[in-house]
Amino acid sequence: MNPHISEQFDAELDAARSQLMEMGGMVEKLLRDATEALVDQDAALAEKVKLADKRVNQLEVDIDEQCVNIIARRQPAASDLRTLISVMKASTDLERVGDEAGRIAKMAISLADLDYPTDEFSDFRHIATLTHQIVASGLDAFARLDTDGAMRVIASDQAIDDAYDELVRQRSSKMREDPESIEGDMCIIWAARALERIGDHAKNIGEYVVYLVRGQDLRGRGKHQLG
Amino acid sequence: MTSESTAAPANPGFQSETASHSGGASTDASLLVNDLCLFYGDQQALKDINLSIPRKEVTAFIGPSGCGKSTLLRCFNRMNDLIDTVTVTGTLLLEGQNIYANDVDVAQLRRRVGMVFQRPNPFPKTIYENVAYGLRLEGKIPRKELDDRVEWALKSAALWDEVKDRLKESALGLSGGQQQRLVIARAVAVQPSVLLLDEPASALDPISTLKIEELIHQLKSDYTIVIVTHNMQQAARVSDFTAFMYLGELVEFDKTDDVFTNPKKQQTEDYITGRYG
Repeated sequence: MNPHISEQFDAELDAARSQLMEMGGMVEKLLRDATEALVDQDAALAEKVKLADKRVNQLEVDIDEQCVNIIARRQPAASDLRTLISVMKASTDLERVGDEAGRIAKMAISLADLDYPTDEFSDFRHIATLTHQIVASGLDAFARLDTDGAMRVIASDQAIDDAYDELVRQRSSKMREDPESIEGDMCIIWAARALERIGDHAKNIGEYVVYLVRGQDLRGRGKHQLG
Repeated sequence: MTSESTAAPANPGFQSETASHSGGASTDASLLVNDLCLFYGDQQALKDINLSIPRKEVTAFIGPSGCGKSTLLRCFNRMNDLIDTVTVTGTLLLEGQNIYANDVDVAQLRRRVGMVFQRPNPFPKTIYENVAYGLRLEGKIPRKELDDRVEWALKSAALWDEVKDRLKESALGLSGGQQQRLVIARAVAVQPSVLLLDEPASALDPISTLKIEELIHQLKSDYTIVIVTHNMQQAARVSDFTAFMYLGELVEFDKTDDVFTNPKKQQTEDYITGRYG
C-alpha cells in the first residue's frame, strides 16, 4: 500500500493498529494465566488476572477514542475506513476475551476452595490449547493482513465448539455417577464455556481481517459459503 | 467549430442501445456515453469513455485536476462546441437521441440539459427576471402562468421563502449561496431532464454548501443530476453513483457506497484515501 500524502495520517493509523496489537498481547497473556490458574487451582494468579482485565478494558476505551478522533478529523474512506472499523470491532472482541478470562479466573478461585482432584483436567487443557491457538492465529492474521490465515481461524472455531460439547457430555455423566464433585465439575464446565466463547470472538477477528482486506462481510454466512 | 460524430443522427436503431450498456449502473440510463473521445487540437482530453448515467439519480465525477471530468460534463450539453479546436468522436445519447447528431438544435439541447457553474452567475436583473428569462424564450406566456412558474422554480430550488418578498430586487444583492440556488431555479424553470453541476458549492461557505447538497437530494426525484466536485466527502454525501476519472480515462464507475468503502481499482483507492498514485 502506498503511503498517504499526509504522513501524519499514516502515523495515526499505525498507532491505532499497534495499540490493538498491544491489547491482543495483553489478552493472550491474560488467557494463559487464567487457564493456568484454573488447572493449578492457583487463587493468587487468578486474582492477578482479574486485576489485569481492568487494564484491558481501559485499552478498549483508548482505542475507541483514538479511532473516533481519526474518523472525525480525517474522514477516512475505502481501506482506511475498513481498517479503523476493524480495529474498533476487534478491540471490542478482545475486551470480551478479557472478560471471559476474568470468568475463568473466578472459577479458578472457586475451585481452589474445593478439594478437587488435580489430575482431572485433560479435557479442559485440550480446549484451552485450541483456544490459545485460535486467539494467537487471529491476532497474527490481523497483524499480517493474512486472509488465508483468517479463513483458517474462522474454520478452526468448530473444533473448539465440538471439544466443548464433548466436555459437557463427559462431565454431565460424571456428575451423575459422582455427585460429590458436582461443584468442581460445574466450575470447569463454566470455565470451558468461557473458552468456547473466546473461540467465537477469535473467529470474529478472523472475519474482520477478511473485511479489512477484501471489503467482504462474512458474518451470517454458512460454512459452505465461506472461501 | 469542428465538432463531429462518428454516429448517424438519432434513429430508432439507437433506442435499443440504451438498455444494453449499463457501465456498472443497473438503473436505466438517461445519458449513455459510447466510446467518447475528445481532443483539444492534437491533445486528447477524453479517452474512450463508456458510461451510462442513471435516470433520476445523482452521479458524481471525481478525479484530480485535469482528469477530464469537467470536459466530460460539458459534452452533455455541448458546451465544448464553444471552443474552436475541439473535436469529439463517439456517441452520446440523451434519452436515446444522439446529441452530437448534425440535426440537433443545440439551444434546445441546453434547455433539456441545464448547467450550473462553480461561481454563481445570475443576470444583473431582478430575482424574478432571472427565473423568468428562460421561460420568456419559450414565447408569450400569460402573466399569471409566468408568476406561477417562477414561484414553482424558486420553491424547487428551496429559495422561495427567502426571496418571495423581494422578487423585484436585484439578484446581485443575494448572498453567494442564494445566488447559486437562484441559478439552479433558473435552470429548473425550463424543466430540463438533466442538471449538470460543475463544482456548484466550491465557492460557498459550509452552511450554503449543505443547503445546496440538500437541494440536490430533493431535485433528484425529478431530474437526472451529474455533479463534478473536488470535494470527495461531498461526492460521498450527495451521489448515488460515482465515476473516478484519471488522465482522461474513466477508471471506475460504481455505486457510491461501493466506491467509498471498497473500490475495485487501486488507482481509485489511492485517490480517495489520499495516497500517491
